Amino acid sequence: MSNANHPASAWLPPIELDVHHTDTDSAAASATATAGASARKTESLGLAALAAWPQGSWTVPAFLGGIAALVVLALAFDAADLMGRSFAASYALGTLVTVILAVTVGTAIKLALDEMVSIRRLRHIDSLRAEADRLLKANGHGEALVFADTLGDFYAGRPDLAPALHALGHTVNDAHSDGEVIALIDRQVLSALDQRAYRCVLVASRDTAIATALSPSAALDVVIVLWRNLKLVREVATLYGARPGQLGSWRLMRRMLANLAVAGVTDSVGHVAIDALGGSLAAAISTRLGQGMINGLLTARIGIAAMTLCRPVGFSSENKPNLRRIRAELMSVPKTVL
Amino acid sequence: MLAFSVKDGYNRECVTSESGRRSLKLLDWNQLAHVGEQALGQALGHVNVIAGRVLEGNLRLGVTGLRRAGKTVFVTSLIDNLIRGGRLPFMDVIAANRFLAARLRSSPDRVSPRFSYEKYLAALTASPPHWPAATTGVSQLRLAIRYLPSSGLRRSIQPMATLNLDVIDYPGEWLMDLPMLNQSYHDWSAHTLELTEHQPRRQLAARWLHWLGTITPDLRPDESLAREGAALYTDYLHACRRSQSNLSLVQPGRFIEPGDLAGTPLLTFCPLPAGSGEPRAHSLWGLMNERFEAYKSTVVRRFFVEHFARLDRQIVLVDVLGMLNAGPAALYDMRMALTACLEAFHHGRGGWLSRLTGHQIDRVLFAATKADHVAASQHTHMRNLLDMLVSEARNAIRFEGATVETMALAAVKCTETVATEHQGRKLACIQGTPLGRQRATVLFPGSIPDGPDLFPENVSQPYRFLDFEPPAGVGRDGRGLPNIRLDQALNFLLGDHLA
Repeated sequence: MSNANHPASAWLPPIELDVHHTDTDSAAASATATAGASARKTESLGLAALAAWPQGSWTVPAFLGGIAALVVLALAFDAADLMGRSFAASYALGTLVTVILAVTVGTAIKLALDEMVSIRRLRHIDSLRAEADRLLKANGHGEALVFADTLGDFYAGRPDLAPALHALGHTVNDAHSDGEVIALIDRQVLSALDQRAYRCVLVASRDTAIATALSPSAALDVVIVLWRNLKLVREVATLYGARPGQLGSWRLMRRMLANLAVAGVTDSVGHVAIDALGGSLAAAISTRLGQGMINGLLTARIGIAAMTLCRPVGFSSENKPNLRRIRAELMSVPKTVL
Repeated sequence: MLAFSVKDGYNRECVTSESGRRSLKLLDWNQLAHVGEQALGQALGHVNVIAGRVLEGNLRLGVTGLRRAGKTVFVTSLIDNLIRGGRLPFMDVIAANRFLAARLRSSPDRVSPRFSYEKYLAALTASPPHWPAATTGVSQLRLAIRYLPSSGLRRSIQPMATLNLDVIDYPGEWLMDLPMLNQSYHDWSAHTLELTEHQPRRQLAARWLHWLGTITPDLRPDESLAREGAALYTDYLHACRRSQSNLSLVQPGRFIEPGDLAGTPLLTFCPLPAGSGEPRAHSLWGLMNERFEAYKSTVVRRFFVEHFARLDRQIVLVDVLGMLNAGPAALYDMRMALTACLEAFHHGRGGWLSRLTGHQIDRVLFAATKADHVAASQHTHMRNLLDMLVSEARNAIRFEGATVETMALAAVKCTETVATEHQGRKLACIQGTPLGRQRATVLFPGSIPDGPDLFPENVSQPYRFLDFEPPAGVGRDGRGLPNIRLDQALNFLLGDHLA
C-alpha cells in the first residue's frame, strides 16, 4: 500500500502475480485478499490510549484516596460493629442488618462498575472521533474499513441502527478512500441519529423556554433548567451510544454549570428591565418571555455541545448543527404561551 | 326628400345598427363562449407548457471525450445507475431520501437516433459479458428524474419536481473537428503539416508526404488527384490511431468515422502546403479549400450547433492510463488535443441572465476514466496526474467563470483491490479478468508516480495497464452497475439542479 510513496527510487515494474501456479484460479487470489485484509486488521488502531487517564501530580489523588480509604474503613468498622450488636440483640435483627448491608454494598459496587463502563464508553467515543479525524485528514486507503468495523462493533447492540449498518456494508467497497468511507458512515449511519438528537434538543429547548417563561421565581428557573438539561444530555448521549452514568462526563457537566450561571444573569437582567419599564404587566410578561427564549437557546446550545461530544465522528463543515431552526422554533413560543 | 332620405337613412342606419347590435350580441354570446373556451383551453395549454418548462428543469449534459475514453459505457452506466439508484450514496438527493425515480423519455430532438441503452446494457450483462462496440454515429436520450425539492417553500408550490437530463453519445473522433471551426484551410494545413515534422508522425505520414512532394498545389483541380490525396491522408490518420503511441490529434474526425458521409466529396480533401505567393482560385488548392470550408459548415458546424452549443454541464472523460501505456508522445498529443477542442465550448457562469441569452457551461468535470485499472490507493495520484495534464484547459475554463473539478472514476468497476505480498514488499494489486482471457488474475500494473517524472529513463515499459472484461454477473443485483465515484461525479454535475 505504501509503495506509491517511494517513486522512482524503488521503481517496481508492472508484474503479473502468478496465482495459477500455487492454486486454481481466483480462490488463491481471494485468499491473499482476505489475508491482506486480516493483516490490515491486526495492525489497526492503537487503542491503548483508551485506558490512559490524564496524569497529574500524584499528591492530590493520593490524598483523596487516603480520605476515601479512611471513610470506607470507618464505615466498615461501624457496619461490623452494628452487625455484631444486632446479632447480640436477636438473631432475626442480625440477619436483617446483614441483608441490608449486602444489598447496599452490592448496589454500590454495581453503580461504580456502571460508572466505569460509561466513562470507558465516553473515552471510546473520544478515541473513535480522534481516529476518524486522523483518517479524514490523511485520506489514505484501507484503514477506514477497520474503523467501520470498530464502529459496527460499538453499535452492535442497537437494533435501530442495524439496517443502516447493514446498508453501509453494502455501499462501502474496496475502491473508496478512507475519507469517503468516513463520509459514508457520517451520511448513512450517523445522520439519522443526528436527526433524532436534534429533535430531542428542539423539544428540550422549547420545554425550558416555556417553563421558565411561566415559572414565578428565579429559584424554580434554576431547578427547571438544571433538571431539563441533565435529562437532555443523557438523552443525547444515550442516542449516540455513550450512556453516561450519574457522574457522566466532566465536560458536559461543566457546560451545564455555565448555562446555569447565565440563567441567573438573565433573571437579574429581567428585573432591571421591568424596573426600567415601570413594572407593567405587559413588560413583565415580555421580559419573562424573552428570558424563556434565552434559556431555551442556551439549552439548545448545551444539547448541540452534547451532540458534538458524543458523536463518534466529528461534524464536518457541511452538516454542523446550527441554532437557526431552533431559534425559529423558539420565536413561536410566545404564541404557544399566550 | 332630402330630409326623408336622411331620416330614412338615419332610420335604416339605426335599424341596421340596432339589428346588427342585436345579432352581434347574439353572436357574441355564442361565439364569445366558444372563443373564450378555446382561448382558455389554449391559454391553459400554454400555461401547462410554460409551467412544465419552468417547473421541469432541463439540463443538457455534454459527455466529452476523445476516442476510447469510455463515453458510451459512461452514459450507459449513468442511466442504469440513475434508474436503479442503488449505488449512488454520494448523490445528495439520494442520501437525503428525496430521490423518487428516474425514467427514460423520448428525446425532444426527433432527428437523432435514440441512444440504445438497452442494447449496451445487454452487452455488459450478457454471459459472457462484453464491451459495447465502438460508436459510429450520434444518438441521444432523455432521462426524467423525479425528486422532492429540498426547500420547504418550493415544496409547497411543487411537491414533486422533475429534471430532464439530455445525454448525447457520439464517436470521439468527431470531437477533434471542433478546433477546425476557428481555422482557415491555410492555417489548418500549415498546422497539420507542422505536426508531421516530428516523430512518430513523420514516419506514419511518409507515403502521404511523398505524394505531396510529387504534386504542386497550383495544379488544375483534378478529382482523381484529390481522391488519391484524401485516401493517402486517411491512411495516415488510421496509422496514427493504430500506432504504438495511440495519437489523439487526428483531424478531420469523419475521415476515420465517416458516419453517413462515406465516399462523399465532402471527405475528399487533405492539407496542402500553401506554396509561394497567392494561390490561384482555380487550382487543386482552391478545390481543397472549398471542400474544407464545406466540411466545416455542413458537417462540423451542424454537429456543434445541434449538440454542443446548448450544453449546460460538461464532463470530459480522459483515458489517462491508456496514454501512460502508450508513452510520452501520446500523452503530449492528448494534452494538445484536449486543450484545442475545449476552446470551442462556451464556458462561463450560468446565471439567470445566461438562461435567457444563451447557454453557457457553468460546471466542467475532468474525469480520469478506468480508475478500476489501478489499485484504489493510486486514485489520488491518478487524479493529480489528470490535474497536471489538463491544467491549461482547466485554467482557461476557470478564467471564464465556470467551476471545474477533477476526479478519478470508473463507470463500470471490473476489478477488486487486493493487498498481496511480493518479494517482501506489500503491494496493492488488482484482481480481475484481463480482456481476452478466461481466468481472473492478480496484477500489479505499475504505480502512477506523484510528480512530473512520469517516464523513468531506464525502464522500457514502465506501465502495463490492462483492460479488463466486465465481471460476470455484473448488474444482476438490480442496484445498478458497480462504479467508482460515479455518484460524486453526478452530484457535482447535477446536484444543484436536484436541490
